[in-house]
Amino acid sequence: MTDFVEVDVRPTLRAGGEPFGEIMAAVNALTPGQCLRLYATFKPTPLLHVLGSKGFAHDAKELDGGDWEVVFTPADLRETTTAPTGATDDEQWPSPVRSLDNRDLDPPEPMVRILAAVETMQPGEVLSALLCREPVFLFPMLAKRGHVWRGAFEPDGITYKVLVRAGRQEGP
Amino acid sequence: MVGATLSRWSMSYFAVALACLLAGEALMVVGFGFPSAELRAPDSLVLVHLIAIGWLSLLMFGALFQFVPVLVAKPIYSNTLPLPTLALLVVGLTILVGGFLQLGGRIPALHSCFSPAAVLLGCGFALALWNLGRTLWQARPLPLAARFVTVGLLCAAATATLGFVFALVLDGSASGPPLADIATYGIPVHAIAGLSGWLTFTAIGVSYRLLAMFMLAPESETPRSRAVLYYGTAALAVAIVGGTVAIGMGGHPTAFLLVAGLLGTCALSLYGADILHLYRARKRRKIELNARMAAIALANLAGVAVLSVVLVAASQFEDQIGAIVFLAAFGWLTGLGLAKLYKIVAFLTWLECFGPVLGTTATPRVQDLVVEPRAAKWFWIYFAGVWSATACLLLDAPEVFRASAVLMLGGTTGIAVEIARTRLLLDVRPELRILHLARRPALLASQ
Repeated sequence: MTDFVEVDVRPTLRAGGEPFGEIMAAVNALTPGQCLRLYATFKPTPLLHVLGSKGFAHDAKELDGGDWEVVFTPADLRETTTAPTGATDDEQWPSPVRSLDNRDLDPPEPMVRILAAVETMQPGEVLSALLCREPVFLFPMLAKRGHVWRGAFEPDGITYKVLVRAGRQEGP
Repeated sequence: MVGATLSRWSMSYFAVALACLLAGEALMVVGFGFPSAELRAPDSLVLVHLIAIGWLSLLMFGALFQFVPVLVAKPIYSNTLPLPTLALLVVGLTILVGGFLQLGGRIPALHSCFSPAAVLLGCGFALALWNLGRTLWQARPLPLAARFVTVGLLCAAATATLGFVFALVLDGSASGPPLADIATYGIPVHAIAGLSGWLTFTAIGVSYRLLAMFMLAPESETPRSRAVLYYGTAALAVAIVGGTVAIGMGGHPTAFLLVAGLLGTCALSLYGADILHLYRARKRRKIELNARMAAIALANLAGVAVLSVVLVAASQFEDQIGAIVFLAAFGWLTGLGLAKLYKIVAFLTWLECFGPVLGTTATPRVQDLVVEPRAAKWFWIYFAGVWSATACLLLDAPEVFRASAVLMLGGTTGIAVEIARTRLLLDVRPELRILHLARRPALLASQ
């Protein structure tokens, strides 16, 4: 059972205050196994980056009144609380040798281009691709071909970024 | 495995569904059931259930077994349960049709068909809902489109439960005030739960995702799209729960249905605004046949809403309920279903056949599996038939209605042939077929 610490900085923001210190104090006080649930009057994009660099994954959603709720999950909980990504190893991946921006392509062209690009890569090389949705049909195909991937929505909540590491060369 | 794989039996669902649609249209051509008979006559009930369960529900289940995993990015709970589910639904429907034929005196009634039909259909719906429900449950919190589908599935459960009660009362297995009252006065609630809740609400949810996906339109969840969900859910809850409770307590559901109608009109207006926005904000300027024909179906849904309001204002609603239901079933749901089926079969066939070799060799595009100008002709013939038939119902001209049904049958036959050609790759240029490398698809099952 995940334990949440709630921080509501909406009163501080409405009063014209700066909530960064309040948030970081709460983050630093988190005990292992705890997540942070933050309420703000806007989507705190800079904070997402700051906590992202500290190993927190986030899940941001807009509430009915235009406020935002963001759940920050520390790295030690991510394996069980967020969608698995196909890559279970924690090792560092090399920088991508190829980058594709497939956001404006008609489906299924984004998937076709990723598969075609991965076929030309050496085992261990990494490809990065931007998409406008989670490529649910691509993942089983990558798995069948022995490739691994890591993927998640970007902080904008619209762009899906997937990294594919070419696996062993294997015929279809 | 993360992601979505091919739903093994969806093609079988689609084939049986299309066969039921063609059979239903053939019955209309020969003058069997409504409008040649009364809307509640046994012959009309044969026709209604052939379309509602045989065509629309099987189509919807076939599509959901494939697309709920896409909506929630989680695999289907079971890829094998859909086959026994299909068998239960088809046998149950066949026996139910037998029950209505007995009721009309067309076949001898040695043993009543209604109870066995109720049990088989009840089990079929329960299995389908269990499989889809488990898939949705493991994907919480659900994205917007999946929440629409969840409400739609709850309405399917309500529809099937009411139908179960009707069947037991019809063959005398159940009696007594609450159940008998529900069987007598609950038919509008049963029809609303099925047509508006299960079929329309689910189609609305899936349309948000599929239209955005195929037109490259923004797919974000907005306060307005959430309002469609809330107003629509409230309308369905008032109609189904309120209506059933009112009948169970010896009252009449009319007041609940009126309130539900108002809430439903709000939901549909907001949905209309969302859909206009989707079409206007699309990045893909030249859209495919499926999106163009879906737009016609959506216009028919708007037509259903406008026609309902006009007829209520003219105090003609109850007299013309048949025309409204007809336009909803054939102009909106069937139109959307055929348009999306045309795309879904092409996409799934392409994925199954060429997916394993994608990126390793030149493969056809999805659009190389279809010939849109040829199919467009059949869609227009179908819609012309629907509009003409609706006019005939409003003007009380049953003979011209049968001629319109010929157009519908001809159009549907043409579309069904096009879909079969797509599945069998008959329109792919031979040099691109590369069947020595790719997998040849079976007509009715996916591997």
